[in-house]
Amino acid sequence: MTALDDTRESLMQLLLASGVPVSRVEIMGSATLGAQRSSLFINVYAGPNITEAVAQILAPGARVVMAPEDDAALLRLARAAGAPVAQVLAASNTAPITGAAAIVVSKISGESIPRKILRDLDERGTGDDLAADLGMALAKIHSVPVDELPSNLVRVDNAHVHEAYCDSLAASIDDVGVPHPIARMGVHWLRQHLPSRPNATTLVHGDLRNGNILVDCGRLAAVIDWELGHVGDPMEDLAWLCLRTWRFGNEDLEVGGFGSIDSLRSAYESAGGTWREDAFRWWTIARTVWWASGLTRQATTFLDGNSDSIVLAASGRRVVEQEYDLLRLIAP
Amino acid sequence: MIDRPDAAQLLEAMAETLTGNVMPSLDGGAKHSARVVANLCMILAREWDEREGMPVDELRALLDSPDAEYVDLIADLDRRFADNDVSSELAAALYPIMMADAERRLAIAKPEYLEP
Repeated sequence: MTALDDTRESLMQLLLASGVPVSRVEIMGSATLGAQRSSLFINVYAGPNITEAVAQILAPGARVVMAPEDDAALLRLARAAGAPVAQVLAASNTAPITGAAAIVVSKISGESIPRKILRDLDERGTGDDLAADLGMALAKIHSVPVDELPSNLVRVDNAHVHEAYCDSLAASIDDVGVPHPIARMGVHWLRQHLPSRPNATTLVHGDLRNGNILVDCGRLAAVIDWELGHVGDPMEDLAWLCLRTWRFGNEDLEVGGFGSIDSLRSAYESAGGTWREDAFRWWTIARTVWWASGLTRQATTFLDGNSDSIVLAASGRRVVEQEYDLLRLIAP
Repeated sequence: MIDRPDAAQLLEAMAETLTGNVMPSLDGGAKHSARVVANLCMILAREWDEREGMPVDELRALLDSPDAEYVDLIADLDRRFADNDVSSELAAALYPIMMADAERRLAIAKPEYLEP
């Protein structure tokens, strides 16, 4: 049997074990294909029925940010709360035959490449509708019952939610090991300007932005890529979505370069969310520091010889964009 | 003797070749990689033209380290912030230096990102 045969058989066994009726699995193509992780488009056959699905597979030993079984639990809870997310068909931290970690979800039609989304929205004129869709989706994500979330999810005590984030930023900068005084200056500012706390911590997607959404016919089809999900301050999601870096040059449209904050906020509040302006500003600064440090880490991966990706090398020259935004945000 | 085209001109030509001739025949990840390489060529071309400008003298004066190298000054600043050893006066004096340096570096890395 080839590795591909093993993968196909593994996915079929996984689906059967999850109660999905399946007589055959065909691999139709790949979105990404790597030694450590791959994302495959598959067809699941059950008699005359064909279900189009996406399988994300992590090779045994690959670095797992979020285990597939936890990922699946998040997706199911978010979907039950009314958020647009893919339906989970099966998930296992050790799939049959290959031992890989894998999750299989229904395929949802939509575009995820930011510049294509922006071009399409420009023609359709539905940018504010999409911003409103995201406000509503986030309100639903933030309404997921926290006590039903997987126990391994990172949780921060509401009493120290902002202090803890400052500590984690400082630890992350330490860990990257590259002197980064502007990022440190940002953490210094954050510690001196702690915002109001949320009424309660909630599920936070952690990486919802233009690039981690599927957009179909100008409207939100699905929220994807949940691996940074955690329990924290819900305003973190709203601020991250509006960072300047995700506007792709459309500076006046704060939400992903396509919509207004008013549209986002109005929909979020209409769907039950509570907007805290001081926390929105604080998280905008906090996540700008986080991304400055994250880009530095990516460049370090290249510089240390752990990757030959030219994209990771280029990340080092994008750090200054975040530093510039940060300095403008904390201007005295 | 000055060789022409110089490094900046060659890098600009490389970027134009990638975007004008190579990228149209690519798609997916290969096209993205070519775009990244073209962007990096343009960064290097601008960097070649603007090789000076690091705020060494300003930082030496502010940190009272007249002989320190730039990398040591940056490391010193990093340590001071990490140790919470930065007075509000020092932070206020640092801000315009850091902003001017960020603007200088951004003018090289992505000039269109600078606010008007």
